[in-house]
Amino acid sequence: MTRELTGSEAAALAEALVPGSVARTSETACYLKPEMLVETLRALRDDPAANLVHLTNLCGVDYWDHFEVVYHIQSFEKNHLACFKVEAWGREKPEVPSVTPVYHGAWMQECEAYDLFGIRFTGHPNLYRILLWEGYPGWPLRKDFLAMPGGLQPGLGEFAGVARRQEPPVKVVE
Amino acid sequence: MSGIIKSEPFVINIGPQHPSTHGVFRIKATVDGEKVIDAEMVMGYLHRSMEKLAEERTYTQNIPFTDRTDYLSSMSNNLGYCLAVEKLAGIEVPPRGNAIRVIMAELQRLASHCMAVGAFANDTGAWQTPVMWAFREREKILDIFEVTSGARLTCNYMRIGGVAFDLRPEFEPMVRRVLREFPPFIDEMEGLLSGNEIFIARTRGVGVLSPEMAINSSLSGPMLRGSGIAWDIRKADPYCGYEQYDFDIPIGYNGDSYDRFIVRLEEMRQSLKIIQQALDGLPGGPFRTEVPLALRPPKGEAYARIESPRGELGYYLVSDESPAPYRFHIRPPSFINLSALKEMTVGGTVADAIVVLGSIDIVVGEIDR
Amino acid sequence: MTPFLVSDKWYDIRDLGNLSRAILEAADRILPFGVVYVLAAVLGFVASFLLFVLPSQLFVGVYGERRIIGRMQSRLGPNRVGPFGLLQPIADAIKLIQKEALTPTQADRAVMYVAPIIFVMPAVLLWAVIPFGENMVIADIPVSLLYFLAVSSLPVIATFMAGWSANNKYSLFGAMRIVSMAISYESPLVLALLGAVVVTGTISLSGMVAWADEFNIWMAFVQPLALVIYFICVSAELNRTPVDIAEAESEIVAGYLTEYSGMKWGLFYGMDIGYALAASGFAVTVFLGGWTFFGLEQWVPGWLIFIAKTHLFYFLFIWTRGTLPRLRADQLMAFAWKFLLPLGVFNLLIVSTERMLWAEQDYAKGLIYLFALINIVLSGALVYAWARFNGYRPERTPTRPRLVKQVGGYIPIEERP
Repeated sequence: MTRELTGSEAAALAEALVPGSVARTSETACYLKPEMLVETLRALRDDPAANLVHLTNLCGVDYWDHFEVVYHIQSFEKNHLACFKVEAWGREKPEVPSVTPVYHGAWMQECEAYDLFGIRFTGHPNLYRILLWEGYPGWPLRKDFLAMPGGLQPGLGEFAGVARRQEPPVKVVE
Repeated sequence: MSGIIKSEPFVINIGPQHPSTHGVFRIKATVDGEKVIDAEMVMGYLHRSMEKLAEERTYTQNIPFTDRTDYLSSMSNNLGYCLAVEKLAGIEVPPRGNAIRVIMAELQRLASHCMAVGAFANDTGAWQTPVMWAFREREKILDIFEVTSGARLTCNYMRIGGVAFDLRPEFEPMVRRVLREFPPFIDEMEGLLSGNEIFIARTRGVGVLSPEMAINSSLSGPMLRGSGIAWDIRKADPYCGYEQYDFDIPIGYNGDSYDRFIVRLEEMRQSLKIIQQALDGLPGGPFRTEVPLALRPPKGEAYARIESPRGELGYYLVSDESPAPYRFHIRPPSFINLSALKEMTVGGTVADAIVVLGSIDIVVGEIDR
Repeated sequence: MTPFLVSDKWYDIRDLGNLSRAILEAADRILPFGVVYVLAAVLGFVASFLLFVLPSQLFVGVYGERRIIGRMQSRLGPNRVGPFGLLQPIADAIKLIQKEALTPTQADRAVMYVAPIIFVMPAVLLWAVIPFGENMVIADIPVSLLYFLAVSSLPVIATFMAGWSANNKYSLFGAMRIVSMAISYESPLVLALLGAVVVTGTISLSGMVAWADEFNIWMAFVQPLALVIYFICVSAELNRTPVDIAEAESEIVAGYLTEYSGMKWGLFYGMDIGYALAASGFAVTVFLGGWTFFGLEQWVPGWLIFIAKTHLFYFLFIWTRGTLPRLRADQLMAFAWKFLLPLGVFNLLIVSTERMLWAEQDYAKGLIYLFALINIVLSGALVYAWARFNGYRPERTPTRPRLVKQVGGYIPIEERP
């Protein structure tokens, strides 16, 4: 049975390898400092006690005031799953270091997070919009997607050549 | 001779309209003669923004969406999503519900592997015979799904807290028939392909993935097991009571396309074993816990995963106590299994690239969501 | 030896050549000088077309192939148009004729139009030298084997034109593949046939049939390896499915046919079957005794025997098409150069030795059976030995995966002896 590490357990693993890498912990996740993310994950991957070798899942979440990038990392030999998070503040240009140098499997998932959230992963070898096309206005999975400068509307009116409905932009409710 | 004949690489688009891309998927391959020197994936032709749409619907309403991601294994997708919601809301599933789920998920694995194996043989050039045989067997399973859930492809059968309907009386004889008729089919398939010299020449040593590369590229499922890594969510993190059943994990030798193929064939045998056990010990009692239609899970997040036919299928849900998920993320196995496509195809020929793509067993609905 | 056919009267339908000769002789008496040659050609082509090529191509090549492959694939195949779906090929042809034959704007229009026409002509010409019966040869030339080989390598030019002119990368791939394959497979093909030529001492197809009748044995038993090599080579040259790398559907869409549609495509498709049938007829003539069947031709018309044999041989093409995967282009080249060519040379050496012994010792006719036995054994041994020499080790390739009970990490392969 896979043991899902709690936030403090994951933090203890990370702190033991790279002191000062943990920003805070929550019940399920350990928040890492963005500037030390790559270093910490590399240490966790290579350490036999942590053995976090398989970056299972990587996704972004939009919390209005900040973005979180969630990393679920699996150990095969120890059979535990750790959840790390990194926060990116600011809606204009949120930036998170890319973990592609550590986990090759991250590159597509980071591209996806960039495509749908607009989170820029610095150090990514080839960050491009993997699902949507280049030049697509806005970042669809953001909560304020419909109120974005692209002037997008629900329905099919957002494509070029189709007259846009003259309605006020959707009001964002906090 | 080198240098006398001037040649230059050119770009060839494998897809989006191509017989072997299994949907609208495109590899932009730069080739030098027949040799692939660079490969770039282009996807998103089938993007339906499911993750965004799911944020506007209740937890129960989202179940049909999961059918449409991996349309070849809708049962598994339903199951993964329902498990995530149950984990988020802390719902227990009665034993009969769990057993039905296991049977359905394993039948779905059989159906999906039939498709994978047949299509893979088709990619190597075995002109439609294996795929037709596989379809013949798959039909029987789809008939079972039709009897049970009313739909063949997009079943929408799992519910939060159990399954949608109880089993019908026809169900058991039909499953017994599958259990009886499947092993000869697998043997037949092995006889046709596994020992075939041409098939071995085409697949062995093609698209080799070292175990380190397989792990580092976040691969899962038969891709990972083909490289010799013993990893199966059903064993490692049992859900729905998989720990009660006795089965083995097949693992390959070199991590090439052939290993992935034989791993899939062997997984079908193991699935039959699980179905047999689950069907023999099918408990009575309720098949579903009643949950409110507009379920409001407590604030928090949950990541639940299952071993879908293609690999680790995870659902990451964030709840804000509203009836709709705040964040609905799918961890699609066939999308992430493509991470290593470039490493596997570069250096081979165009024909190898097709074989490698077939051995990954992608479903474009799941890649693009 | 008694003659094949006791009578050569015009009413002896065991050999329709008698009838046509009677007609031509009668015509020669009335018509002006020379017209009879034209008439003979027309009569021959019309007769062979009506009798054999057209029905075979339509009903065996198209309908039969689809039905048989349907049975192999556990489905029905065409069964809607006409009784048992027999009119399906005609429905297909009508549909293809109606269909618009598109030409891409960037294509080389002239070459693209000409290619199917060039492709069709050799398929018709090939039948000229194949004996359906003793007198049923349109052109009984003494070098008919050479003629057949020369004409049957012409369609490669047409397919190359088709692939080149379409201005499509997939078509170009197909064209390049077929040219390289034709070069590779022509040499083992000719070597294999040389074996038969050495045994019989003739390069006339009628002569080869006569040899088979005289010695009362098929060349396939004397030269089993040559037949196998011939079959593989000819399937490669004809793009039949186990080795159809030029139009490999799952790799390069349809190869040189990618941009073709309508009846232009239909010509390629139909004539592919025509070539395969002609190759079957040729193989039957050289290796399987042609229109003779150990004396049965005295009672059953020889052309019926020939047609039955040809279609049975054609079934081999269908069978391989329904079951085998396809080799990669480079593997196919390697197979030709590293495997078939040396085997062809060995085979030729063996058969030449035997022929030399035969010529010097003046053996009895019955000794050919001993030679056949020796050759069958030698061929099997030779194939196996050469395969082992080239690194064929089937016992080293596990076909079942390892099974483990416990998860966790990479499990290294244990050392095998």
